[in-house]
Amino acid sequence: MKILLALLMALPLAAQEKPPAAQETAPAAQEAPAVAPAPQPEATVTGSVDVGYQWRSNVGGSLDTYRSVVNLGSGPKLMGLDLSFESATKRWFDRINVRGYNWGDPYNTAHVDASRHGWYNFSFDYRNIAYFNFLPSYADPTIGNGIFLDQRSFDTHRRMMDFELELMPGKWFVPYVGYSHDSGFGRGITDFVSDANEYPVADKPRDKTDNFRGGVRIELKKFHVTLEQGGTTFKDDQQVFTGDQNFGNRSTPLFGQQLELTNLAQSYGVRGNSIYSKVLVTADPFSWISLFGQFLYSRPDTTVNYSQFNTGQFVDLASLLFFTSELDLVNAAAKQPHTSGMFGFELRPMRRVRVIESVMTDRLHDASSAALNQQILTPLVAAQLADFTDRLIRNYSQQQTDVLFDLTSKITLRGGQRFVWGDAETQGALISGAVTETGALRRQVGLAGVSYRAGHGISAGVDFEGASGDRAYFRTSLQNYQRVRARARYQPMTSLALSAGFSVLNNQNPNPAVKYDFLSHETSFSAVWTPSGGKRVTLTGEYTRSNLRSDINYVVPQDFTTAPSSYRDNGDEASALADLVIPGFGAHAPRLGVGGSLFRSSGSRPTQYYQPIVRFTTPPYRHIAAYGEWRYYGFAEPFYLYEGFRTHLLSVGLRYTR
Amino acid sequence: MILFAGAAAAQVPAPTNPAPAPANQPATYAGSEACQLCHEDIYKAFQKNPHVAVEKSSKRWGEGRGCESCHGPGSKHAESTSAADIRNPSKLAVAEADQGCLGCHLNQPTHVGRIQSGHARNQVSCVTCHAMHKSAEELRPQRRAAINAKCAGCHTAVWASFQRPHKHKLPEGAMSCIDCHNPHGSLLPRSIRTVAANEPGCLNCHGDKRGPFIFEHAPVRLEGCTACHEPHGSANPHMLTRQEVRFTCLECHANTPATMAASRTLGGIPPAFHDLRSPQFRNCTLCHVKIHGSNVSQDLLR
Repeated sequence: MKILLALLMALPLAAQEKPPAAQETAPAAQEAPAVAPAPQPEATVTGSVDVGYQWRSNVGGSLDTYRSVVNLGSGPKLMGLDLSFESATKRWFDRINVRGYNWGDPYNTAHVDASRHGWYNFSFDYRNIAYFNFLPSYADPTIGNGIFLDQRSFDTHRRMMDFELELMPGKWFVPYVGYSHDSGFGRGITDFVSDANEYPVADKPRDKTDNFRGGVRIELKKFHVTLEQGGTTFKDDQQVFTGDQNFGNRSTPLFGQQLELTNLAQSYGVRGNSIYSKVLVTADPFSWISLFGQFLYSRPDTTVNYSQFNTGQFVDLASLLFFTSELDLVNAAAKQPHTSGMFGFELRPMRRVRVIESVMTDRLHDASSAALNQQILTPLVAAQLADFTDRLIRNYSQQQTDVLFDLTSKITLRGGQRFVWGDAETQGALISGAVTETGALRRQVGLAGVSYRAGHGISAGVDFEGASGDRAYFRTSLQNYQRVRARARYQPMTSLALSAGFSVLNNQNPNPAVKYDFLSHETSFSAVWTPSGGKRVTLTGEYTRSNLRSDINYVVPQDFTTAPSSYRDNGDEASALADLVIPGFGAHAPRLGVGGSLFRSSGSRPTQYYQPIVRFTTPPYRHIAAYGEWRYYGFAEPFYLYEGFRTHLLSVGLRYTR
Repeated sequence: MILFAGAAAAQVPAPTNPAPAPANQPATYAGSEACQLCHEDIYKAFQKNPHVAVEKSSKRWGEGRGCESCHGPGSKHAESTSAADIRNPSKLAVAEADQGCLGCHLNQPTHVGRIQSGHARNQVSCVTCHAMHKSAEELRPQRRAAINAKCAGCHTAVWASFQRPHKHKLPEGAMSCIDCHNPHGSLLPRSIRTVAANEPGCLNCHGDKRGPFIFEHAPVRLEGCTACHEPHGSANPHMLTRQEVRFTCLECHANTPATMAASRTLGGIPPAFHDLRSPQFRNCTLCHVKIHGSNVSQDLLR
């Protein structure tokens, strides 16, 4: 009876999977008692591929501003690729994930990760980001003459990639290695600065950073340690060549002489490297205490070779010497040892009480020296040899104590204090008359908060910081400030979630020589409604109101009078999306999404920026969806009308999902 | 009928019904199959979660106890089906719930291996961001858009800043919040991620601002990028904190030699020949082109 039952139980399984041919021919198998063959696992590929085409209408208004803000163009695109391979045998890997987005756009990314349980985790990340910036309102001294240009503009790419391989994940001893690469290249406009004039010239920036790292994580029952050693190499080459006559920004002669640039060859060669060490420790020696600490050390060094040869008509204002050519050579080096440390503990003396104490320090010392060989070649040969040294020291420390008390299982109270202190020393501006400027930081901060979590999706929290400082590094730094943040979430039903947030920051520096008054506050609301799990309609909406007021006096450089600098920014930001399933089409119902975002601000730089969107998706077949999308970008600044733009983007595509 | 029932039973392993625990005895492990009987949907979803590795591991809790590794021994709950008889991390005090996660996840690639910063102080637990019963992507989002959506769920006002015209390219999917912030905590304020041990995460992409420069611009090192920039988004070009460059500079550089001691702050005033009535001087970076630090000029001119 038992054998009969076993055979019957095996029947459905046997029906699902054809036994391998090898089993049929193996004599041993024929002689063995009937055993249900295990189902053969199959490799699976799941994910989606999203390809399409995008059209951009002609840009109304400023194309340069459009490219600085949006920069999307026309052409075929791989909108998204998201594939997962699961191995059947799990011999080399358990799973490989491959993702790529926005290929064909100025911002595209790729990611690959693979893992085998207990053996390794591997990840690779790649990003290619195009940066374009040409905004005449930013740096254009010729705008009064009707010439729109930006003398600090650029059209560059940044490419970043990162590899990391972790061995034996999940074991107590986990070695890992990593490599990151970051490079930037492109072209731009910069200024060649000479006494009494500056000349906009084209430049070619190119920089590259490579980071190598390796370490080990030791994970034991009572303590954990991470040890990491790494190194960085850095290269920055900027080159400027021009052979065109350039009168610069000074249109009037100086002492009867018209300043001009006729030839320039300027080259920066910056090489850098850095080693760093990282030690992280956590320990739980007893149930009532946890300890944590870290030590971080880096020491970037750079060496610099700079050469400059320029011809034209120039002036040395200090000696009122006019000259026609100049050769500058600079050799320099800098070191910046940077040490950081932190130690803390969490004490749990009672079930409802936690005390978190931490002390940290961060010390950065930058020392550099440079040798300048400046030769004015014509009309007479005059050489100036000069050595410069510079230094910057920053010592920053912080001690913080937090006491958390669980008043009930739903309410937690928090109180504490933070003391921040530090000192800094830097080379002062030459005109200030001080060779060295020193600054100090002293701030005593009181901390308080309450958080409430109840059933039915209700949670709320309020967080307060109040500080009384008597020293700050800069006139606009935090000194006497109060910061309050409040946040609440309410989910009255599964399909509806509401949240609200409020924050305010009030910062004052009452020093009569400063008189800084800063106040900002933000209020935000959001709602998500997904009745029936979003089968018919999904509505999301967010709204934020932000206000910023800043008043401080500054000294007008030309006459040393005092003038107020007032900045105002009152912004409204809203975004919404209604996603509707069009009824009457059964399982292949099309979806319509309507929404977008808007930003309007008034104040020192009033701005309007609208991005409405309409999206239509229809799944003609089970695994395929076709979609179309319309976007509009509209940007306007009343004070800088020449920077406004408006354009339409239309995308169509197919998405295959498996 | 009996035969068909027998075949069906072969497909689903018979649950191991735990022996009823006496009321005064602590609960014992019942095994995940016992949980599956009532929580079929959660059990199935959990099979796609990387934590299913715990289910298959004989370490710590033993094989087949994936559910109970977080929820604790479940024999009493399996018998009574009462929620009071099982540990539910989402109903516990945050610190207590997090202790369960940190039991395994101490010293993960965060700075100190535990939740620090505002998230811990504001009772944001691990499971607020990491969905334990769902897919790997929902446990630990990898897609940048998914990460950003997760953060924006609470930080609504911050996400609103990215609707401003001059911002980092987060809405476009080129970056995510965790490229700059470490949500588990960091040495730096606002959980700013660090690179190469203790350098601010901004330098991960902006390597050309890294230095050390021969002539440093002090605020870059003393207060960081946010001294002059609004990294989340601004109406001002280059994400500056002020509508024109000159105000960004002059609000700090307003110490005359006479007032410097009184203000007790850094930042000497520019030379007097800077006549702001001339458009040439309204943008300081027209001449001070190496404003983040220069390797050649003490006045950051080249």
